[in-house]
Amino acid sequence: MSEAEVHILVVDDERAIRRFLHTSLSAHGYTVQEVSTGEEALAQVTRARPDIMILDLGLPDIDGVDVVRRLREWTQLPIIILSVREHEQDKIMALDAGADDYLTKPFGVGELMARLRVALRRVSQSGDEPVIVVQDLTVDLGQRTVNMAGQPVQLTPTEYDLLRLLALHRGKVLTHTHLLQQVRGAGYENDLHLLRVNISNLRRKIEPEPARPRYIMTEPGVGYRFLAE
Amino acid sequence: MVRMLPSKMAWRRYGQSVILVVIATLLGQPIRVLINPTNLVMLYLLVVVISAVWLGRGPAVLSAFLGVLAFDVFFVPPRFMLGVADTQYLLTFAGLLLVGLVISALAAHASVQAHAARQREQQAIAGYELSRDLAAASEVSELLHVIMSHTARLFACDVAVCGMESGHVTWQAATPQFTADQNLAALVTQVWQSGKTTRAGVESNIAAGVNILPLQAGEKMLGVLVVKRRATDASLNSEQQRLLASFASQSALALERAQLARTAREAEILQAKEELQTTLLNSISHDLRTPLSSITGALSSLLDETAALTEATRRDLLENAWDEAARLNQLVSNLLDMTRLEAGAITVHRDPGDVQDLIGVVLARLGSRLGARPVSLDIPHDLPLVPMDFVLMVQVMVNLLDNALKYSGEGQPIAIRACTTGAHLRIAVADQGIGIPEDDREQVFAKFYRVPRADGQTGTGLGLSICKGIVEAHGGRIAVQRSDQEETVVTVDLPLTVSGDERNEA
Repeated sequence: MSEAEVHILVVDDERAIRRFLHTSLSAHGYTVQEVSTGEEALAQVTRARPDIMILDLGLPDIDGVDVVRRLREWTQLPIIILSVREHEQDKIMALDAGADDYLTKPFGVGELMARLRVALRRVSQSGDEPVIVVQDLTVDLGQRTVNMAGQPVQLTPTEYDLLRLLALHRGKVLTHTHLLQQVRGAGYENDLHLLRVNISNLRRKIEPEPARPRYIMTEPGVGYRFLAE
Repeated sequence: MVRMLPSKMAWRRYGQSVILVVIATLLGQPIRVLINPTNLVMLYLLVVVISAVWLGRGPAVLSAFLGVLAFDVFFVPPRFMLGVADTQYLLTFAGLLLVGLVISALAAHASVQAHAARQREQQAIAGYELSRDLAAASEVSELLHVIMSHTARLFACDVAVCGMESGHVTWQAATPQFTADQNLAALVTQVWQSGKTTRAGVESNIAAGVNILPLQAGEKMLGVLVVKRRATDASLNSEQQRLLASFASQSALALERAQLARTAREAEILQAKEELQTTLLNSISHDLRTPLSSITGALSSLLDETAALTEATRRDLLENAWDEAARLNQLVSNLLDMTRLEAGAITVHRDPGDVQDLIGVVLARLGSRLGARPVSLDIPHDLPLVPMDFVLMVQVMVNLLDNALKYSGEGQPIAIRACTTGAHLRIAVADQGIGIPEDDREQVFAKFYRVPRADGQTGTGLGLSICKGIVEAHGGRIAVQRSDQEETVVTVDLPLTVSGDERNEA
């Protein structure tokens, strides 16, 4: 879809933030609607059917996390959280409730635009690409093979599953709990040791410089994110 | 030893003394013919002694009289008659009776003594237990609980401790069944004002079994102790009243100690707070205003329509404002962290952490601030995972690298090294900058401390103290050294294992 048609719903009770978002987003060709409370946001989503939502957590009436939960009961509308809450627990709660991404205030517009693009692309893509190519890395989902700069990379089944999950959700933060649940199943959600070791091994195999990762980024205390573009 | 047995048992003891006399008489029969009857008196004296020691004074006296009677009837001729043939036996009777009565009196006295000693011992134990528990408590609320529970248990009573505030009685603590009325409040007020104990008998309008004692240390009135016996007719005897008074004075001293400690603590906190506020205000107002001035300045230039700005200048102003805003944000974060550390609101959640991952996140976070600065990494692949709060450790490393960047020249390299040293993992950040004078190496970790410099580098002096706070919360150490290669090296040592009692609650 072209950007001119994209409707963004901004939910924030701070007028200064709404004003700044309106200006910056309009300048990038988005159509912006603003509301300042959770109830208005829920009503506006039903009425105006925006394409994406930018949501503050600290709303005067209902908490942003609850807004996400209530929306997720019926819609897959992309939701990006903007909040001053920098605690990892808040981020994890919002992400586990179904939010697509999380930005901590203050943030740069460049960062916000990148996150918007990732979230919008995820909605538009069909989701059944058999081969994912990111820079030098190729993940062939059909063949279950991974190539790095043309060279085949040998991965353990757990490493491959992690890479597949992360690559399928490029640009999106996947929480520790989510990754462990998907890769090892229920009961292993808290086995952070296992996750750390596997990510570390995975990086050693696919990252040219494991201490300066290009493909798999760590979101401290929250989870991991695969390179967006 | 004689017990103060209930009256129900009394007749039985008298009965037992009679039986003893009968036994002595029966025993005496076979030997009566062998020895002089006078010597049989010994048997009866034995009975009196046994009765006195085991049965009490009354039975002993009874056995003395019965002994004389039995001796007369069964042993002294003419037998089976009250009269005596030989008047010298009257002397034997008198001796037997007298010795019997003296023994009874002595035994009874010993028993009273023993009882008193036991009571003194119990009181000493009660007093000791009270003072032990009072010493263990430090808060006023704990003390009140100790005072109430001990008093309630020892005197079988309901207890309340009250104070006075602007002419009104305030009930600070009371046992669950305690009830108060207007009259009691008036009596409490009276005790508070006079400093004198009152009870039934002293005061006319006071219920029996109620004692009201001042809790007084020197001249200072700390409260009033109200004691109500559960059985309403049970007044305290003088011994118990003395004990209660000593309880009250012990309690008062403990309360005074707690109050003094609290006042001292509050004064200390207040002073520290004032000092902190002054330093904070001085430091913060400067450090907050500096980036804010740059931002305001840049924006006002951009808004100024009369200024002819080239595109390059506009860009420069904007970049400057952007950098300063980032600095302002970092400053606010540090201030918040410091506040949280101070308030004890930061809890360390330790999970197995990958040091390489940690450094990766830190380098990414510093991003443009690193610029073209050469950063060398020496992180072995086989390092074990280390229990750490990843998020807090990111902050520590960002602060350390930020310092290294700030206090060393543009092109000077920075090195990050990691290794294990015994039971610790060591992460070192080394720069080749101006360094820290030896005298300041301890102090740099103190809050708001900044090494005096002429180069105009700004900062709150919070970064390193936050690092220290976080590292120590991990049970680790942080130190700064000057290496042989003229490097300034900050080392962070984190324990490789977490002891059981330090483990996360989660």
